[in-house]
Amino acid sequence: MSPVIEKMTSRERTMAALAGEPVDRPPVCTPTNVATVELMDLVDAPFPEANRNAEMNARLAATAYTELGFDTIAPYFSIIQESSALGCDMQWEQKDNWPTVRMSKPIWKGSSDVKIPSDFLEHKDTKTITDSIRILKQEFGNEVAIVGKTMGPWTLAYHVFGVEPFLLGTVDDPDEIMKSLEALKKVTILYGQAQIDAGADVLTIPDHATGDLVSGEYYRRFLMEMHQEIEEELSVPLILHICGSTVDRMPYIAETGMAAFHFDSKNDPVEAMAAVDGKIRLVGNINNPTTLYARGPEEVRAEVNTALDAGVQLIAPECAIPLKTKLENLLEIPIAIEDWVAERG
Amino acid sequence: MPITHEGLAREFEYVTNAGEQKHISEGIDGTAPIMQEIAYQLIIGNNTDVDRLTQEALSEGFTANQLLDDGLLNGMAIVGVKFRDNLIFVPEVLVAARAMKAGMVHIEPILSASGAEPAGTIIMGTVKGDLHDIGKNLCIMMLRGAGFVVHDIGVDSSPDDFIDAVEEFQPQVVGMSALLTTTMPNMGRTIATFEDMGLRDEVRIMVGGAPVTQDFADEMGADAYGDNAVDAVDKAKELVKLLAELKSS
Repeated sequence: MSPVIEKMTSRERTMAALAGEPVDRPPVCTPTNVATVELMDLVDAPFPEANRNAEMNARLAATAYTELGFDTIAPYFSIIQESSALGCDMQWEQKDNWPTVRMSKPIWKGSSDVKIPSDFLEHKDTKTITDSIRILKQEFGNEVAIVGKTMGPWTLAYHVFGVEPFLLGTVDDPDEIMKSLEALKKVTILYGQAQIDAGADVLTIPDHATGDLVSGEYYRRFLMEMHQEIEEELSVPLILHICGSTVDRMPYIAETGMAAFHFDSKNDPVEAMAAVDGKIRLVGNINNPTTLYARGPEEVRAEVNTALDAGVQLIAPECAIPLKTKLENLLEIPIAIEDWVAERG
Repeated sequence: MPITHEGLAREFEYVTNAGEQKHISEGIDGTAPIMQEIAYQLIIGNNTDVDRLTQEALSEGFTANQLLDDGLLNGMAIVGVKFRDNLIFVPEVLVAARAMKAGMVHIEPILSASGAEPAGTIIMGTVKGDLHDIGKNLCIMMLRGAGFVVHDIGVDSSPDDFIDAVEEFQPQVVGMSALLTTTMPNMGRTIATFEDMGLRDEVRIMVGGAPVTQDFADEMGADAYGDNAVDAVDKAKELVKLLAELKSS
């Protein structure tokens, strides 16, 4: 960062930070989601409808920029739009709960079952996001970065095969699991490209091979090359998102060629920066359930400062936030960044 | 007598905490070779052999309690340590759990019919909005293995579901699980509902799940936090004891 850089737009700031270029100040990013019940009320776009109606979706997504002062807008709030279009059993929930896939009722058993419906991109739940991106692009142009999202093959596998059968399969028949992941990777690329065509500036790739479930070696063995291939196929900067403890796999993630990695508060930012060794930018890692949800602006500010002091390039909540997170805590993030920059000249 | 099974002895080397070494080796030392074989096959996730060996041991006259304590639970104790220390992860725990289930199928009916006094009664569920159940199911398996009667109310359990289950089953402990940072706050809402209904003092509440921490458990007003399935068993035993002391004082 350099003090001579002129004030940037939110989009310029985000794209520069993702490219590892100088910025006027570190951007506040939303790789996952910052929709809350308060924001839903403010713009009359409640869950679950805001996940299934493009106009409502765009209205709610835009609040990240218009109300919170974040530098990105991310219209894909959840992690289930593709899985709905693939035919998974869905639970759309209510205003204050996240929609989810009923993974105890998996739709497929193996790689030969994986079939992408011909109207996949026209399904109501995939189209909501691509239409919303078009609306947002028309409204905000190049003012703010629009962050799309396409699920990685590992996360899709949880949804279509069920978490337990899929993880057991990694031990019982790893070759078959690789075939399944290869088949699901096509969904990732198809939907990612559709969002780029609609105007997405950046894509988040959530792929939950988390340290809470699998080893770093698993990431290297099953996913690293696959993520490299996804990066080669999709032309915009990609942000990989994996929850939980991930320091042990960060050196592998740093080799994927992706622009950034969105990391969780379970990882110390100093250790994380050392693990990636400058090969990928980091986005994160303010704690959601304890700090953003249950505590106050002072604690939020302290975590923002810790991340910035460590050299984290883009600041963000660690994951999709609890829907009843207080706005004052989210509003504190950009303020804390401005103050951090001002204090350090 | 030291651990005589070569594979099990190798697995035991992963237990490095002195207290745990003492506790686990006391459990294994002197047990029959077939029990050590069962423990080892469970650790490596060989459900076929655990199934076969359990049946063989029963036909040789070993009791269901011996099979549980000397075979299956000794194996799971080492699995628990390896999981906590990040030497193995959920897939490896799942195959071990599958092996444990293969043994439990044969001994559970015998244990149930024995009429032994349970270690306590527990309600377990994943909180509202969360459909993940691997962690909860592992805890239930270990708690049942440790002699608790566990009523599983499933996933996506609302505060009212927990209240209804408490009123029906009168447990000493309520266990709540969550895998998502977005659903963890529902633990706090459930605890608040227990307070509103005047039931908070009737039960002890423990929470767990991958993103849950001791800090968060304290923040939400839980009585205990279980870091993993083995820890959940220890915490449940402590809570049952504490509640009994409280009620008798």
